[in-house]
Amino acid sequence: MANSSDTSNANGTPGPDVILSGLGIRRSFPVGERSLEILHGVDLELGRGQRVSLMGASGAGKTTLLNILGLLDRPTEGEVWLDGQSAWSLTTQERARLRNASIGFVFQFYHLLAELNALENTLLPAMIALPHVAYRNKREEYETKAVSMLKRFGLGDRLKHRPGQLSGGEQQRVAIARALLLDPPLIIADEPTGNLDSSTGERVLELLFEEQETRRTALLLVTHDHRLAQRCERMVHMEDGLIQADSSHTMPT
Amino acid sequence: MYRWFLSLRYLRARRTNWIGAAGITVAVAALILILSIMSGFLQESRDHLRGNLGDLIVMPNQDYPLSDGLLPKTDEASLMEIVRANPHVRGASMQMAWYGMLVPDSKSSLLKHPVFGDLSLIHLVGIDVPDEYGASDLRENMKPTEDSSSFQVIPVTDPQRPFDPPPFYRPDGAPKSGIILGAQLAAAWNLHPGDEVELFSLGVDPITRSIEGQGCNRTFVVTGTFRSGENDMDMERVYVDRRALADMLGRTTAWSQILIKLHDYEADKVAAVSTLRSSLAEGRFVHPPSGNDESDYFRTEVRTWEDLRGNLLGAIKNEKSLMGIMLSLVMVVAGFTVFAILSMMVSEKRRDIGILTALGAHPSGVMSLFLMIGCWQAFLGASLGALLGVLGAVHIDAIETSLSNTFGIQIFDRSIYLFDHIPSVVEVTGVALIVLGAVTCTLIFAAFPAWRAARLNPIDALRFE
Repeated sequence: MANSSDTSNANGTPGPDVILSGLGIRRSFPVGERSLEILHGVDLELGRGQRVSLMGASGAGKTTLLNILGLLDRPTEGEVWLDGQSAWSLTTQERARLRNASIGFVFQFYHLLAELNALENTLLPAMIALPHVAYRNKREEYETKAVSMLKRFGLGDRLKHRPGQLSGGEQQRVAIARALLLDPPLIIADEPTGNLDSSTGERVLELLFEEQETRRTALLLVTHDHRLAQRCERMVHMEDGLIQADSSHTMPT
Repeated sequence: MYRWFLSLRYLRARRTNWIGAAGITVAVAALILILSIMSGFLQESRDHLRGNLGDLIVMPNQDYPLSDGLLPKTDEASLMEIVRANPHVRGASMQMAWYGMLVPDSKSSLLKHPVFGDLSLIHLVGIDVPDEYGASDLRENMKPTEDSSSFQVIPVTDPQRPFDPPPFYRPDGAPKSGIILGAQLAAAWNLHPGDEVELFSLGVDPITRSIEGQGCNRTFVVTGTFRSGENDMDMERVYVDRRALADMLGRTTAWSQILIKLHDYEADKVAAVSTLRSSLAEGRFVHPPSGNDESDYFRTEVRTWEDLRGNLLGAIKNEKSLMGIMLSLVMVVAGFTVFAILSMMVSEKRRDIGILTALGAHPSGVMSLFLMIGCWQAFLGASLGALLGVLGAVHIDAIETSLSNTFGIQIFDRSIYLFDHIPSVVEVTGVALIVLGAVTCTLIFAAFPAWRAARLNPIDALRFE
């Protein structure tokens, strides 16, 4: 646990260098009359700009932890701090806003909206963030940003295509553009290449790492792929609802 | 912002949404159409039911003594003076009403082969001519009609002297007094001006006030017909000169009721009835109100024409509200359609709801997104339905005609109601209420699926592809 809690203040509040911090997280689900504990007290802290891989066998609790760290699920016990705010002491409204502004999600199955084209899917976080009039005023700004990002991702001639007309790799690139639109300080990627063939997956990953590096965004990457995990500066290994190993190493160039 | 954008996208993407809107359209259009026609019927029927009744009718009850034991007074001149002195009264006419039987002369084939129901009781009304024109619509109803109905009015030769025999009438003996028949009655007996008819009736003994088989009869000559539009009146009523009727019946009191026309019926009816009641009671012509509503029979001595026709008017009003209630069920069915469509959409869009939540949408935002889809359906359906309903109500006649011509059947038989068109009155408040009701109903039905969408756990929604 070399990296945990050494940047925290004495009172348990994470320091300014910490973007995401989970403290003593437990999560149990009711199964019949008893409850089944999936996470047995996980401490995990992510520094700003850090690239961290989260590995573990199926059933180790990765997804549960990810949902909690992504503010989609409430821990039974413990605290989640995101960008200096204790997520579960906020109102649902504030938490939704925090998730909108501070986390970019990249899912295994892309999760684009089928009714929207590539550009509209990319713009979705901004549409959620702003009310009608405010969005209309800033629409051009966001559109320029989204278009240039999609062009950079090689999707310049795919702007008006619906997800159904795009390949898996293209869809995932749109999803990455969507995650990056509001420049969140944290990207959570859940097996982003799990559904892609290896060469496509490789290209998507290149793109994600490249963007992460230039923007100095923190990245929490869940993967089964050991080689992929090697390319992160820090590897966290989970087993049976606990963090078993947390190691930093210098990045291979 | 995403709510507007996505609700429109979802609306366009799913064709079933149009079915929801179409259901609302049908419900709203049907409600507006039917209620407009019912309003039209009500209005038209009011005109027709009124027939030759004036605004108010005074029917003193001569059977009960006043509090001092004497019967109410019957003096014509001072009675009319009291009535005419009332500031609300524009015209008043004294009438004598009685019952009798009418038999045409022998040239009628009907007499040789009477059909059951043809020889029914006739309502005899004795009138004073210039007065009656000022108190009822009789003068209007004696003018020639312009529609294709089988009951055409045959106007009298000189409306100012309607009971004078027509110039071509050549009497066998002494010239007879004239009689004006209801148009339906005249048509049924095939009677025309110049034909002689015999009236039979029973007289009342002026002293014992009882009918003691004192049959009386007199021959009259038909001078013309009237058509009030009120079925019973046109079938059963005849007008003769008041003095001639009193003479035939051998009565000393030559009147039984007074017909009154007000300056402004709708505005003054309540005040006019109560002032007439008190001034007539003061003049000892009617019984003073006892103050007890339950047993106050004498209140009915001064009535509005609506009181007289209350049952029929009430029946049409009842029909209208019943139709409204039944057709509101169509709206509820349309609401169920919206409910089903939105529920389906919420299930189908589980993943999208999860994605939106992950991207920072608040549950209330998700809820309003789906409510908004319901809103669009309600808005589209209600406005299209209002448009169709109003257009349909305005052009119902042309629509019915073209439908009748296309299918070769008569959908609406105008001669039954004596309407030359299908009546329909579009009430703006009614339309507004229906549209408002449709939108509210749809939103209530949309609320449940929208609420379910908002409660959806994003983790479950995102878990599987």
